[in-house]
Amino acid sequence: MRRSLRGSALLYTGVVLTCALLVFPIYWLVVTALSTPAELRALPPTFWPSAPRWNVFAEIVQQRPILLWLGNSILAAAGAVTLSMLVSVLAGYSLSRFKLRGGQSLGLFILTAKMLPATLLVIPLFGIFRMTGMIGSLWSVILAHATLIVPFTTWMLKGYFDTIPRELEQAAMVDGCSPLGAMVRVILPVSAPGLAATALYGFVLSWSDYAYARTFLTNAQTNWTANLGLTTMKGEYVSNWADISAASLVVALPVLLIYLFLERYLVGGLTAGAEK
Amino acid sequence: MPRPAFLDLARPSRRHWLGYLLLLPAVLLIGLIIVYPLFVSVDLSFQNVGIPRLDQPRRPFTTANYERLFTSPEFWNASWITLKLVVIVSFFCFLLGLGTALLVNNRFRGQSLARLLVALPWAVPEVVAVVIFAWIFDSSFGLMNWVFIKLGLINTTINWFSSPEAAFAVVCVTMIWKGYPFVSIMMLAGLQSIPEDFYNAARVDGANAWQRLTNITLPSLMPVLGVTLILVMLWVFRDFSIIYVMTGGGPLKATQTLSIMTYEQAFGFFKMGYASAVGVVTLIVCVIASRLLMGRAPETV
Repeated sequence: MRRSLRGSALLYTGVVLTCALLVFPIYWLVVTALSTPAELRALPPTFWPSAPRWNVFAEIVQQRPILLWLGNSILAAAGAVTLSMLVSVLAGYSLSRFKLRGGQSLGLFILTAKMLPATLLVIPLFGIFRMTGMIGSLWSVILAHATLIVPFTTWMLKGYFDTIPRELEQAAMVDGCSPLGAMVRVILPVSAPGLAATALYGFVLSWSDYAYARTFLTNAQTNWTANLGLTTMKGEYVSNWADISAASLVVALPVLLIYLFLERYLVGGLTAGAEK
Repeated sequence: MPRPAFLDLARPSRRHWLGYLLLLPAVLLIGLIIVYPLFVSVDLSFQNVGIPRLDQPRRPFTTANYERLFTSPEFWNASWITLKLVVIVSFFCFLLGLGTALLVNNRFRGQSLARLLVALPWAVPEVVAVVIFAWIFDSSFGLMNWVFIKLGLINTTINWFSSPEAAFAVVCVTMIWKGYPFVSIMMLAGLQSIPEDFYNAARVDGANAWQRLTNITLPSLMPVLGVTLILVMLWVFRDFSIIYVMTGGGPLKATQTLSIMTYEQAFGFFKMGYASAVGVVTLIVCVIASRLLMGRAPETV
């Protein structure tokens, strides 16, 4: 079917408008970060700063322990993702390949765990971490983030393993592999892209968390994650929007890069199973 | 048929043991960090506790938290705010998400770039989304006041975060921007699974674009639509970061949802027993609502 000229014009206008509206807030964040305080107070607003202050990033890194916060976020995410992947690769494989008594209900329970309000779970976790002396340490956040990540990764991986033909490991077992060996030597290498996408998805979940970090890490600034540090800047620097915006960009950048490079995989994992 | 002996490894069914073994770490971890804490919070909700000391004997059983909860105007206000937020945000997320998906699903040059951009806000951390919109709606130098004055909608600048209605609206706008790309992603996936033959057959029968939309596209999207609706509603229902960082539940509790109330009671006033009761009620609503809406849970998502 060929579209009429008018139809095409309408379509392109609609697409450009939609994209512009959706991306504008991010663009505005960049503009704000690069503007001078005078430009931020100007009317009409400056839509592109006359002399972009590229050194704003160097400045905020010097003024605040942002690199330390980013490091903490990386540590927390790496820990939470490693822990979650270890258990959910095994569980996802098991749910995909074995018809187990109770497997169905476990799957259902994991699904329900995705519906848990973080604000409810944070209360008992606070009590548990206080009792074990983990409050203030990144370990508390690592464990708490696993509660967010495991339900997602288990289901994503189950869906991914479902797409890999069983004949692969059957052939390996005929060649003398044990069932476990077949999984480790044959299925996991084949699933590398799926594993990577799932792990990155978990990374994004941990990176974006605010509630758990806000509750468990408040006592020492050196243990803050990037999101937590960012919100404290919003609180005290009410007027310094350029600095807050620059810090926001630094915090958002890793996730945005992951998204831009791996859009296909992330979106594929997100929608896996929804098309049935 | 007699059941096989407990550990009869000679039977072919022994392969199942591997299955259970692989599930074990996940079960242990989930038990430790989800199931046990869940029991603890239900238990806390029946005690009169401030900051819980789990290593000390539990306080006497009481239903006072729940009694106080259901008679407190604050709880009913938070329920009403939550309901309003869920309905408004989900409605716009769906309207815009479906519209965008239908738009981007057409074939055109630059389609993959458009898809990339359309879903971009989904990847922005919630806290960063709050920074963006708090600045856009800043009362003195924010862009939105300037736009509204230019359009002739207002004469003087609005102080967005001190008026209850305006603050609620800003929270809605932020959540819609952050949340609706997810709907677009899910709807696009759904649209792509509809066979092209359906449309060709309909065209042969002389169906126009509107009839194709209502008779083929929407019915075929129904299953994805249902799942997505639940996920979006649950997200709005439970969301904490956006509202807490943006308004802290204020002004005058105009944005205090059940999640914010739970958190405030627990970590603002250190009434963790009472807060747990709010949280438990929230959880029950979540589970009932999703079961009602979902019906056939296990195959989806």
